[in-house]
Order: sequence, then structure tokens, then C-alpha cells
Amino acid sequence: MRRVTAPVRMLAIAGILLGCIAAAPAGAVPPPSSVRAEDAPGDMGEALTVTWAWEGPDGEVTGFRVMTLRVVADSAGDMRATEWILAGETSPDTRAMTIGKLERGTAYQVKVVALGAGGQAAEAGAAAPATPHMNWFIARKATLAWWIFGVSVAIVGSVLMAWKGVPMRVRRIAALEAVDDAVGRATEMGRPVLFIAGIQDMDNVQTVAGITVLSRVSKTAAEYDATVEVPTSRSLVMEAAREAVQASYLSAGRSDSYNPDLIRYITDEQFGFVAYVSGRMVRERPAACFYMGCFFAESLIFAETGNSIGAIQIAGTAESAQLPFFVAACDYTLIGEEFFAASAYLSGEPLQIGSLRGQDVCKAAAGGFIIAGVAAKTLAALGVGGAAAAAAWIMAGLGA
Amino acid sequence: MAPPIERIHRVVATDCGSTTTKAILIENQGGVFRQTFRAEAPTTVESPFADVTIGVTNSVTELQELSGYRLINDDGTIIRRSSPDDKDGCDVYISTSSAGGGLQMMVAGVVREMTAESAKRAALGAGAIVMDTIASNDRRKPHEQIQRIRELRPDMVLISGGTDGGDRKKVVEIAELIAPARPRPRFGSEYQLPVIFAGNREAQPRIREVFGGPGFDLSIVDNLRPTLEQENLGPARERIHDVFLEHVMAHAPGYDKLIAWTDAPIMPTPGAVGDILQTIAKGRGINVVGVDIGGATTDVFSVFNGIFNRTVSANLGMSYSISNVCAEAGMANVLRWVHLDMDERELRNRVKNKMIRPTTIPQTREALVFEQAVSREALRLAYVQHKAFATTLKGVQQQRGVGDAFSQEEAGKSLIDDMHLDLLVASGGVLSHAPRMEQTAAMLIDAFEPCGFTELAKDSIFMMPHLGVLASVHPRAAMEVFERDCLVPLGWCVAPRGEAKAGKPVLKWSMRRSSGSSESGTMAGGELKLVRLADGERATIEVQPERGFDMGAGPGKPVTREVRGGSVGVIIDARGRPLPLPADPSAMRRAALAEVTALELYPD
Repeated sequence: MRRVTAPVRMLAIAGILLGCIAAAPAGAVPPPSSVRAEDAPGDMGEALTVTWAWEGPDGEVTGFRVMTLRVVADSAGDMRATEWILAGETSPDTRAMTIGKLERGTAYQVKVVALGAGGQAAEAGAAAPATPHMNWFIARKATLAWWIFGVSVAIVGSVLMAWKGVPMRVRRIAALEAVDDAVGRATEMGRPVLFIAGIQDMDNVQTVAGITVLSRVSKTAAEYDATVEVPTSRSLVMEAAREAVQASYLSAGRSDSYNPDLIRYITDEQFGFVAYVSGRMVRERPAACFYMGCFFAESLIFAETGNSIGAIQIAGTAESAQLPFFVAACDYTLIGEEFFAASAYLSGEPLQIGSLRGQDVCKAAAGGFIIAGVAAKTLAALGVGGAAAAAAWIMAGLGA
Repeated sequence: MAPPIERIHRVVATDCGSTTTKAILIENQGGVFRQTFRAEAPTTVESPFADVTIGVTNSVTELQELSGYRLINDDGTIIRRSSPDDKDGCDVYISTSSAGGGLQMMVAGVVREMTAESAKRAALGAGAIVMDTIASNDRRKPHEQIQRIRELRPDMVLISGGTDGGDRKKVVEIAELIAPARPRPRFGSEYQLPVIFAGNREAQPRIREVFGGPGFDLSIVDNLRPTLEQENLGPARERIHDVFLEHVMAHAPGYDKLIAWTDAPIMPTPGAVGDILQTIAKGRGINVVGVDIGGATTDVFSVFNGIFNRTVSANLGMSYSISNVCAEAGMANVLRWVHLDMDERELRNRVKNKMIRPTTIPQTREALVFEQAVSREALRLAYVQHKAFATTLKGVQQQRGVGDAFSQEEAGKSLIDDMHLDLLVASGGVLSHAPRMEQTAAMLIDAFEPCGFTELAKDSIFMMPHLGVLASVHPRAAMEVFERDCLVPLGWCVAPRGEAKAGKPVLKWSMRRSSGSSESGTMAGGELKLVRLADGERATIEVQPERGFDMGAGPGKPVTREVRGGSVGVIIDARGRPLPLPADPSAMRRAALAEVTALELYPD
């Protein structure tokens, strides 16, 4: 095979290029004009909006390519451009684009390239670099804002209604109504009441809810002159429990009967605590046991031990994995939300009852949206006319 | 001492009430016991007579005149027959008593809803009026409790508290409140106040010490609540009866003689009523509610699944307490049952007049309608109180499964289930003496709202107390007289449970009579229908309730039942349960008028 020399190769390339030019439509693709880049509104300072104009016959361009060039300061403080990066491509009809994932406070140079149908291109840059800034409102989260507003209106409205004396019924919660029964049993049997506020610290909301219930239990015990023992697995919980029980004895007019030694810290160790409590239950045989707070593996150990000694047991936890054990082994169980509603239920204060009602209204609304969305999506999948639009509307309403 | 049952053929029974002593004669006629004659005379327990036996002799003398048998000796005692062929005299003489206010008791317990409630149940079941209940959690300070104990003048005190082996401290504390407070008995300073202790066995020695001093007569019986799961009322009730005879009756004027005359222990009147209802409920295997509405109080008795309960609503009555009924129920609620235009101011005057002149009876139709409206509210409120009292035991450990996660029923649930009420018995002036039986039936239905199929009856001449004592001597005779002479069958109430809307279909019914004829119909919400079925006639009724309405077999499921006629017949009530009544006065008036028309309550 004969070797081709370099001048010949150059000529061949030039010929191919000339051939290409001859095959292309006559005239170059006009470049975009009026290219402008500015900070996108309603974002967290991570996007620019680029707009441009382009005058030319239909079909001459296949689309537009938008590119950005990050302008940063070098070590000497001089502004220095980095390399052009493709931000995205648009259809030929589009004249605007939002570029995301940019660095807040950094200037970007922007250019738009018109892509000709024959492969030719013409570009134009923005007159000035633009810098994305953080805005006060994030537009894409407007739906969420509306939901928060709605929730607030429902809660505040309900609280105001409760204050004005509009009757608000909270359904009977058997577990809380049975507190008198349990403490009464302990009184008649001459045995103590045992209260466990979970095994977590005061930073756990379930422990806080448990201490709320303890207030009620200890107030009833003070009225009946029964003894309440509260072993705790956290020292802070012990302090909080002492405060709550003392206040209850005071409000019942039996402050002299309050004994802080009955509320004591045992150990942080989960099974060490369990061993102590179980042993005490078997020895002292309390007539009523309350488990109110966050429980894990010890739930069944406590509940089974309490059941075996014939105690009335009332439990409350938001740990869904432990609920079946409590339901099966205890006399009464506060399930999930009931546990958190306990303070409103027990106090009967308008503020708390109204807040509870407001939350319930919102939950009912969210539940309604979810059911409607599932129904609309299902109908859309079955090809029912209008269902897809309804589903899209609901999705938008939920901010999805 | 009563003779053997086979020798009992003629019984004289008296009930010594506060105002009248009622005597009845019960005879064996062809193998069946029937009540044959009735007489009454004023009670003579108060001065100037101060001897209850004078009233008894007077009433039995009237009975003697009516029957033609010689029943009273020249010395005023009641003659016993020496042989069955003896024409004169009776085989057994029995009596009840509520004279002088009946048996008044104070009860105490550790926890108000537990042992104190059991003590109250025991006292009420024995026929007592409970003046107050002292408990460690009754929200009264010790000095207030002592003050209250000193104010009361009970015939007897019943103390309970602590399970066996349970609390000792608090029950002794309660005893230590009562003993130094020294409640003053009604019958003078010489009277040794009977105290019955029915609490923790282990507290007995200490209780003996506390009540060991003069002024008390302590008796100790088995614990009312040996465990919280168990209620043992029998020994305490029996002891109350004994103490009633030994102490209370013995100190009442003339009762020592009366006790000697009777062949069975004298019982407090309400206790005897309770006994006969229990006998009937047990004998027929049914659930029964009985009501006795008086001038000052309303007694409600119930036997559900064999458990007897009695309540006394002290401030609900038709004369002395009528004002309280109107205040408690509200005049608007009373007027729900009135179909005539009435001036509220005039009604208030009428109420006060009735209160200060308790023996007056309605002279006009308006007065009768109004009195019966008040009685509906009195009965309704008394029944509400009874339902709240007749409950399952509290403080009991529950057994659960995972399936109970969302349906955790509380202890202390009412035992009264209107759907399973079989027989509703009415007694008391306003019910017994209503001019028309339909009025009695309507008052019962409106006040008690029975569901499903419920038989309605009334005590013809307030014979239940006599029969209660008779049941302790001759149960078969008591049952036979109760069925044949005591109860006046009014008919049946057929009512589905469910929310009825005016004009919307509620049920379809069909009735096939024993004579062969049949009829049927459809009922819509708010409608009432009276189907006449003569006393003794039997019929089979089939009711097909609409969806959402329950006749006892479940919503929408048909129920067929054989019923026996009465002086009223069968009332089919499609107004729904709970009974909704319109709030608007004119709609209320229309609803009342519809009832009056449908049940033919006040025909011109």
C-alpha cells in the first residue's frame, strides 16, 4: 500500500471541508440575541433565569444550548473565568431556561448557542454575568406554606372556639378513665401503685407524655391516700417525676403525704432496670401498674410480670412494635396518638382541647386528600376521563 | 314459725305503710292460690295510738267483714286455723313495714366506687334508705365527715372496706371517724346503735376495739368484697334484716307485738318487693325492671342476668318531690309530653300546689296530662340513676386479647340492657291509678324506652310487698298470686333500636292471632301504632326492621315472637331508640299529639 504524504492529506481534508460547506444550506444560522441572565426569583440562591431572542425561519434550528462560565476570584483577587459548562439544551421553541444547582453568591457568565439543523452553530453571550442570590420566599414550597397556614388557622380557630365555650367532645379514652379504678384497687388491697415512665430521657416526647399521665395518677393516689412508686432509668426523669408528683399532692391538699423517696433512680442500663422493676413487682405485688413512655424489649417483661401478679395494668406508648404486647397483656392501652392526647384529655383546658381538635381537623383533611388522590390515580390508571387531571390537581395540592 | 307448706291454704298478709296498713287475703282455690280480698286502715304507729298493731287489727277486721271468715280474736290477735277444715282463721300471717320512714341506714367504705358502693347495694337491696355514704375519697375533709355523721340519725350503720388481707388502715380510720362522732339514733339515747362490719377480715379485731364502748351494738359478717372480683352481699343483707327486726322494729311502737304475731320475719317493704321480683325473674328466667313511684321517692328494682339491684331516687316523686322533678328535668323537658296548650306560669303554680297539698289528685284533663308528663320525667331520671348504679364491679382486672386493641371496654358497665328487658312492672299512684291503662303503658314506654319486645304490666293493688314475704314462706303460692292477681298485663311494646327519621321506613310487621286472623303493616319514623290484643289472647308477631334498626337479632334481621295480650294490646313504636324528641315547641306538640292519637290516651 502506497504511503500518503502530509501535503496530500491536508488537501484531502480541505476538500472534505469544502464539500461539507457546499452541502450545507446557504447562509449561516443567526445567533440568539438579547441574551439576559438574572437571578431566579423565589429560590434559595442556586438558580439563574436565562432569556434570549432568536429571529429565523422555522426549522432552521434544532434547539438551543445554554452554557455557563463560573467567574471566580484568584489568589490575587482578580476575577478569572473557568471553563464553559453545559447547563442544558432546549427545544427550538423555547426562549428561556432556569439553570439550577449553582453556587450561591458566585457570578456566572452565560451564553446561548443556536444549533442549526445542518450542524452549524451560532452563539451569543449575555451582556453581563449574573449572580444567584437567596430570596425571602421559595416559590416551589408555596403549597407547604398554604398547608401550614391552614393548619394554623384550624388550630388557632379551634382554640378560640374552645375559649368561647363552644362544646368540644373528646371521645372517652378507656385507659385514662380507668385510672381511678386502678388506684382504687390498690387502695382497697392495701398495695402500692407502680408507675414507669419509659426507659428514655426527658428529651423523648413519650417520656414527657408519661410524666403528664403521672401527674393525674399521683393526684388520684393522693386523694385515695394510696402509695405511688416511680422507679426511673434516667436521673432527669426522676427529678421531673418528683416535681410532677409533689405538685399533684399539693393540689390534692395532701402535701404531707408526699414522699420523694418513692421516686428513685435505678440505673441507665436497660436490663438492669428491668431486673430491678420485675423483682420489685414480684416481691411487693403492686395492685396497679402504669407503663407510660418509650419502651422496647422490656415491654413484654413488665406486662407479663404485672399480669402474673394480678395487677390492673394501663400502658401507653408510641412504639408501634411494642403495642401488641401491651394490648395483649395489659388491661388498657393508650395507642399512639391517644397517648399524646392524654394531657389535653386529662386537663380539659380549652387551649389543649382546641389544639387537639385543630390537629384532628388537619389530619382528617390530609386523610381526605390521600384517599381522593389514591382514588383519582386508580381511576386514571383505568382510563376514566378526567381522573388524570384530578390526580394532578390533588398532587399539586399536596405539593408533590 | 310457719306451718309446713302443704298445710298452708289461707294467708293473711299486711303491709304497714307510713299512712295506710294494707291487708290481703290469699286462699288456695282448687289447688291454685289466689288473692281474694283486700282491705286497708290507717297506720297507727304515730301518736296518739303509738301502736302499729291497732292499724293491723283494723285492716284485718275489714278483711274479716269482707271475706266472712273470722280472722281476729276478741283480744285483737289474728286467729290461726287448727286444722284445714277450720272455717275461721288463717294458716299464716306475714307482714312488711315501711312505717315511720322505713329502715334508714348510713353506709361507709374505703373507696366510694368499690367497697362503699357494695355497702350501698347491700343496704338498698335489703330495703333500706341510704342516708349517706362515707368513703375515704368522698372529697370531704374528716371534720366534714364527722359533722355529717353527727347530723344523721340512722337506724343502722354498715361499714365495709378492704379486701380480705387487703387494706386495714383506712377501714379502721373510717371506723374511728364514726365511733367518736356517735351518730344519734332515731329511737332515743337508750338505743344501742347497730353497726354491721362487713370488711377486711384482718381488720376485725381493731374494729371490735373501736366499737367496744357503750352505745354501739357491733355485729361482724363476711366481707362484702372478699376480693375485688367478687361481691358477697348475702350475709350483710341477712344481718340487716335480723338487725331490723331485733333493734329497729323492737323499738318502734307496737312492733314487739307484731313480731310475735307473724309467722315469718317482718321485712322492710322495698326489700320484700325486691324479693318477689327476684323470685319471678328466677322462676321465669327473664330480666325484670320494676318501678314504684311515690310522692317523695321513686324506687327502681332490676334483676338482670340474676343480679338484683335497687335504687331509691330520694328527690323524685309526684307530690313532695314534684317541684324537684320539674327543676331537675327542666320545664321544657316536661312539656315535651304535653299535647295541649298550657301556660308555663300556671303550671308552676300547679306544681307548688301539688307539693304543699300532696294528696290532691288531678281534677281536669289538663291537670292529668301535666301530671303524667311530670311522671314521665321522674321515671326517666330515676331510671337513668338506676342504670348508673346497677353496674358491673369496678376495680376488676380485665383479660384482653390483641383483638381488643380498639374496643377496650371499661369496668363498671351498666348491667341494664334495654334490649334484653323482658318485663317492666309499674306500681305507684300515678301509674296504678291512671284512668286508662293506655296512659300507664305510654308513661312506661316514654320513660324507660324499652327496645325489642318488652312485656308491660302493672301491680294491681301494690301487692308485691306481701308477696315478697310470702315467697320466703311459700314460693309457689307467691308466684301463682303474682301471675294471676298481682300483675295486670298491659300488653307489649315492640320497638327497634336505631335512629329513626320522620317519614323514612323503619319496619314491617305482621301479626297472626291465635284465633286465626292476621294483620300487617309498615311503620315509618316517628309513628306509633296500637294493635288491640285482648287479655289472654295470644299472637305471633314478626318484625322485619329496615337496615340500621335492630330488634335484638342484629341490624336489619327479622324477629318473630309470641306475645300475650293485655288490657292495652301491642304498641309498635317506630320513633327510634334513643327516643328523639323535637326541640321546636310546635313540633314537640305535634309529636305529643301524634302519640295521644295513636295510643288513644285521652279520648273525649
